Amino acid sequence: MKLILHYMLRYKRYLLLNLLGVCSFALVELGIPTLIARMINGGVMTGDKAYIYQTGAVLMAVALAGALGSMLLGYCSAKISTSITRDIRSDVFRRVQQFSPSEMSRFGVSSLIVRTGNDAFQIQMFVNVLLRTAMLTPMMILFSFSLTFMTSIRLSLVILATLPVIFLGIFWVTRIADPLSEKQQEKLDELNRISKENLLGVRVVRSFNNDAWELSRFSSANDAYTGYSRKVFRLMMLTQPTFFFLMNLAILAIFWIAASMIQAGAMQAGSLVAFQDYVFHAMFSTMLFCTVLVMYPKAAVSARRIAEILETESLIRDAGEAAGAEPSAETGALTLTFDHVTFVYPDGEEAVLKDISFEARSGETVAFIGSTGSGKSTLISLIPRFYDAASGRILLNGRDLRDYPLKELRRKIGFIPQKANLFSGTIRENLSFAKPGASDEELCEALKTAQGYDFVMNQKDGLDTEISEGGSNFSGGQKQRLSIARALVGKPDIYIFDDSFSALDFATDARLRQALKPVTRQAITLIVAQRVSTIMHADRILVLDNGRLAGCGTHRQLLESCPIYREIAASQLSEEELTYEA
Amino acid sequence: MKHNLAHYRKTARKLVPFIAPYRLSFLMSVAMVCVTTLALAISPSVEGMATSLLVSDAADLLNHVPGAGIRFDRLLQLLTLLFLLYLTKTVSQGVMAFTLTGSIQNSMHDLRNAVEQKLTRLPVQYFDARPFGDVLSRVTNDLDTVSNALQQTIMQILSGILSILLAFFMMLRINAPMTALVFLIIPAAILITRFIVRRSQQLFIRQQNTLGRLNASITEMYSGYKEILLFNKQEDAIRSFDSVNDDLCRSAFRAQFMSSLISPLVSLSTYLIIGGIGIIGCLLAISGSIQVGQIQAFIRYVWQVNDPMSQVSNFSAQIQSAFAALTRIMEILEQEEMEEPERPAALPDPAGHFSDSITFEHVRFGYEPGKTVIHDLNLTVRRGQTIAIVGPTGAGKSTIINLLMRFYDPDGGRILMDGVDIRQLRREDLRRNMGMVLQDTWLFNGSIFDNLRYGRPDARRDEVISAARLANVHHFIKTLPGGYDMVINEEGGNISQGEKQLLTIARAILKNPDILILDEATSSVDTRLEKQLQEAMTYVMENRTSFVIAHRLSTIRNADRILVLDHGDVVEQGRHEELLEKGGFYARLYNSQFQSSAETAV
Repeated sequence: MKLILHYMLRYKRYLLLNLLGVCSFALVELGIPTLIARMINGGVMTGDKAYIYQTGAVLMAVALAGALGSMLLGYCSAKISTSITRDIRSDVFRRVQQFSPSEMSRFGVSSLIVRTGNDAFQIQMFVNVLLRTAMLTPMMILFSFSLTFMTSIRLSLVILATLPVIFLGIFWVTRIADPLSEKQQEKLDELNRISKENLLGVRVVRSFNNDAWELSRFSSANDAYTGYSRKVFRLMMLTQPTFFFLMNLAILAIFWIAASMIQAGAMQAGSLVAFQDYVFHAMFSTMLFCTVLVMYPKAAVSARRIAEILETESLIRDAGEAAGAEPSAETGALTLTFDHVTFVYPDGEEAVLKDISFEARSGETVAFIGSTGSGKSTLISLIPRFYDAASGRILLNGRDLRDYPLKELRRKIGFIPQKANLFSGTIRENLSFAKPGASDEELCEALKTAQGYDFVMNQKDGLDTEISEGGSNFSGGQKQRLSIARALVGKPDIYIFDDSFSALDFATDARLRQALKPVTRQAITLIVAQRVSTIMHADRILVLDNGRLAGCGTHRQLLESCPIYREIAASQLSEEELTYEA
Repeated sequence: MKHNLAHYRKTARKLVPFIAPYRLSFLMSVAMVCVTTLALAISPSVEGMATSLLVSDAADLLNHVPGAGIRFDRLLQLLTLLFLLYLTKTVSQGVMAFTLTGSIQNSMHDLRNAVEQKLTRLPVQYFDARPFGDVLSRVTNDLDTVSNALQQTIMQILSGILSILLAFFMMLRINAPMTALVFLIIPAAILITRFIVRRSQQLFIRQQNTLGRLNASITEMYSGYKEILLFNKQEDAIRSFDSVNDDLCRSAFRAQFMSSLISPLVSLSTYLIIGGIGIIGCLLAISGSIQVGQIQAFIRYVWQVNDPMSQVSNFSAQIQSAFAALTRIMEILEQEEMEEPERPAALPDPAGHFSDSITFEHVRFGYEPGKTVIHDLNLTVRRGQTIAIVGPTGAGKSTIINLLMRFYDPDGGRILMDGVDIRQLRREDLRRNMGMVLQDTWLFNGSIFDNLRYGRPDARRDEVISAARLANVHHFIKTLPGGYDMVINEEGGNISQGEKQLLTIARAILKNPDILILDEATSSVDTRLEKQLQEAMTYVMENRTSFVIAHRLSTIRNADRILVLDHGDVVEQGRHEELLEKGGFYARLYNSQFQSSAETAV
C-alpha cells in the first residue's frame, strides 16, 4: 500500500479532481431521493404543482451534473491508474537495467517479466477500483449520515446499529474466504501444472503406458480443486444475500419507528421515502468498500513483488566515471591477471572457483576446458564484472577491475556468450551495438572475419535484413556468427569466447579461428570450449576441475601431465589422433 | 445475428451431457432464481403500500381528520408480508448458492476430466500439429472462462431479464404512460452501450496490441540483459522501453476512460427518467389517481430495470468469450481418437515379451499428405542388436522412432514385431517392451524417487538406487538437499540439463525394457561424463535391442549396425569402420559432423 500511495501522491491534482467526481456522484445518488422527497412533501402534500415543476427541473440539473461528475471520476481514475502503472513499470525497468547477473538470477528472468508486466497491471486494476469505489464509500457514508441525522436522529441510530454488523460480518467472511481462495488458487495451479506436464511429456507418458496414472493424478487434483471451488463460490454467493437481508430488516425497523414518529408528528411522510434510500446507499457503499478490501490482498502481493525489485541494489558497485580513465598512457601492451581468485555465488555455500591465478598478455590465447560445472564459464564472467570475486584480485593492466568505471571496462571487452542473443531490428542495428554509426566497411569486415559475410549478403536486404524476435529467422550457427561479428565491430582489447563455436561445424570453426588470428594479434583472447580441437592450439590451456586449476600448459604438455585433460581428449579424439598428437 | 444464435444454441447444447447428471440441482437453482426475482419484484410494491399507508394517515393527521392516526394493525400486516418476502428471497438465494455451485462446479469437474481423458486418446500428431500453448490454454484458461461464466454470469442474466420483465409488469399495474416513459431506458442503454463499445473495443484491441509489444520488449531486453550490460546499452534499452511504455499508458487510458463512460451515461438517462417519473407521479398523486407509495415503488422498479441494463456490455463480453472458449474445448472433445484394434493380437511369447526381431517392410510415411519423409524403408533388427541411426537433420531419424513407438502409423508398408504387425497389438502391449530416453528431458513435479520409478511404480527403493548408480547419477542425487526425496519443481533450478538426462536414463533403466530407444539421450552431457556413462550404457544395452540416435561419435562407434539415413532412405548400413572405408555418404557426414582431428585445425 505504501508503494501504491507513494506513486499515487504524484498525481495530487488528479486525485483532487477525482474526489470532486466522487462528491458529485454521491451528491446525485443521494440528492435525487432527497428531491423526490421534497416533491412529495412540498408538492403532493400541499398540492403545489409549481413547486413540483421547479424541483423537477432542479433534479434534472443535478442529474446532469452528476453524470458529468461520474465522467470526471472515470477520467481521473483512468488517468491516475494508467499513469501510476507506467511510472512503476518505468522505475522497475530502470532498476533492472542496473542489475548484475546475480540479481537477474536471484529473481529469474521470467519472474522479472511477470513483475514488470502483470504485477504492474494488477496494481492498475486495483487502483482503478480503489479510486472509483473506495473513495466513494466514505463520501456516501458521510453524506447519507448527515442527511439521515438531519431527518431523524432516532432513525439514524437504526443504521448505526446495523453498520458494525455489516463491517464485522464482512471482516469475518474475508477471514474465512482468504485462505480458502488461496487454497483454490493453489489447486488450480497444480491442475494447470499437471496439464502442462502431460502435454509436454506426451511421448514419455505414453511410452511408459502411464496414461491411467496421469489421469488419476489429474483427477485427484481436480477433485480437490472442485471441493475448494464449491466452498469459495458458496461462501461468495451467500454473503451478499445475507447482508441484504440485514438491510431489509433495517428497513422494516425504519417503517415501524417512522410510523410512531409520524403519529407523534415528529416526521414528515415524504422523508420516509428518502430515508429508505439513504439507508440503502449507506449500506450498499459499505459493501462495495468491502469488495475493494477483498481485492486488496492480491494487489498487495503484486506491490510487494514490485517493491522487492525496487529495493534491490546491484551487488556490483560501479566505480563511476569519477574513477577516471586509465592513468597510464596506453602503450599497447595489455595484461590480465588473476591473483588468487576465489568465487562463491551470492547464495551458494561452496566456492565455484578456488584460488585461481594466471596471467594473459596481448597476443596470447588462453583456453579453458573442464566438465560441466567445473567453473570455466564462471571464471570468464568475472572479467566483465558480471560478478565480483569473493577474495583475490583481478587486474587489467595492473589496475583492479573494481577501480574501472564499469562502462569503460566493458567497452574494452568483447564477450561472446554461448547462446547468441540477437535483438529484433536489422542486422546493421545489431552489429553496430558496440559502435553506433559504424560504417558498412567496418561491419562487412567484421562479418567476413566471423564467416558471416556470405549468408548475410545472400539475404535479400543484406545488412538491412530484419532479425525477428529472438533471432528465430536465423539458424543457431548463423546467430553465433552474427554475435561474434557484433563483438568484433567494437575492436575490444580482450576477446572472450564462451563456448561460442559450439554451433559451428568443424570446417567453419577452423576457418573462423584462422581469420580471427590477425584481428586479435594485439588483443588478449580467452576461449572456453568443450571441443578439444577448438583449443588445442592455444598458447596456454587451463584445465578446471571442480573450481580448481587442475593443469596448465600446452596441449602436448597437458596430454602428458594432466590426467583429466587426457581423459577429456580421449573422449573426443580417436586413438590414432591421440598418439599422433602426443 | 441469427446465424450466431444458432451457433450459440448448438454449442450450448454440447454442455448438456455434462450438466445432465446434476440437472436436479441445476433446475432447482433456476427455479430459485425465479423465486428470488419474483420476491424482489413484489417487495417494492409492498414497501410502497406501507409508505402510502403512512402518507395518507399522515395527511389525515395533518388535516386533522377526526379519528385519524396511524393504522398500526394494517402496517403490521404489511410489514409481516414484507418480512416474509425478504425471507423468501434470502432463503431462495441461499438454496441457489448451494444448488447452483454444486451443479456447475461438479459438471465443470466432469468436463475437465473428460477433456484430460480425451487428450490421452488423441494421436501424438494432434499435439505435434498445434502450438503447445494453444492446447494448454484450452485445457486451463478456456475451461475457467466457461466455468466462471456459468457460475456467475448465466444466473445474473436470467435474473436480469426476469426482473426487467417483472418490473415492467408491476409498473404497468401502477400506471401505463409512466411505464412507457421507463421503457425508454432500454433503447437508450442499448444505443449508448453500442456506441461506446464500438469505440472502446477498438481501443482495447489497440491496448492489447501495445501490451503485446511491451511484453515482447520486456522479454527481449530481460533475456538479453547480458548483451545490454556488455555493450553498455542500458540507456538505449530504457529509451526504447519508455516509448512503448508511454504508448501503452496512452492507449490503456483511452480504452479505460471510454469504457467508463457507459455507466454514467446509462445512469444519466435513468436519472432523467426518474425525474420525469417524479414530476408526472407527483402530479398524478395530486390528482389522486396514484398514491405516493406507488411513486416510491415505481422509482424502485426503474432501478431494477437500470441495473441489468448498465451491465449489458459486461454480460455480452463475458458471454461471447465463454462461447468462444466453449467452442475451443468442444473442438478437442470432437477430435478423432486413435484406433485400437478390435481384436488385439498377442506376441508369440506367452509373457508378451519381445523375443525375436523387428522388421520394417516397405514402410512409407509423411507427416503431411504429399510430403513423404520416409519412402521405402526395409530393415530387420534381431534381438540383442544395437542399431545406430545417423543422418543429417530432417533425414527421418526420429521418424523411425515415432513409427516404432506407434506415435504415428505408416502410410504404407508395415512394421512387424516377432512377425506380428504392430498395428494389431494394443499400444500398451507394444510399449510395455520399450524404454525411451529423449533429448527433451521430461520429468514431472514430484520427488526424484517417484520420477525414477515412473515406468515401474512398484519398484523398491534399492532397485531405484541401483538404477541411478548405473546411470551414474546416484552420487549427484546424494548431493541434493533431500536426496532422492527432493521434489523437482518446474524451474528445476539446481538440476542441469545434463543431470536431467542422466535421470531419464536411470528411469529407463529401471523399467528394464527389452527394447531401448535413445534419441540424442546424452546430448547435454559433456564428453568426459558421457565417456563414463558409455560403460554403463554398454552394460545396460547388453542383451537388449537398442535403437540409438546420436550426434556424437562415441555413442555410435560401438553399434552393431549403423543406418545412414538421407531423405528418408537408408543409403548405407554397416559397422563404423566398414562405412568409413567405403568412403561414401557416412564418411562425408562423419567428416563434417564428427571429425575432430588436426586436418582442419590449422
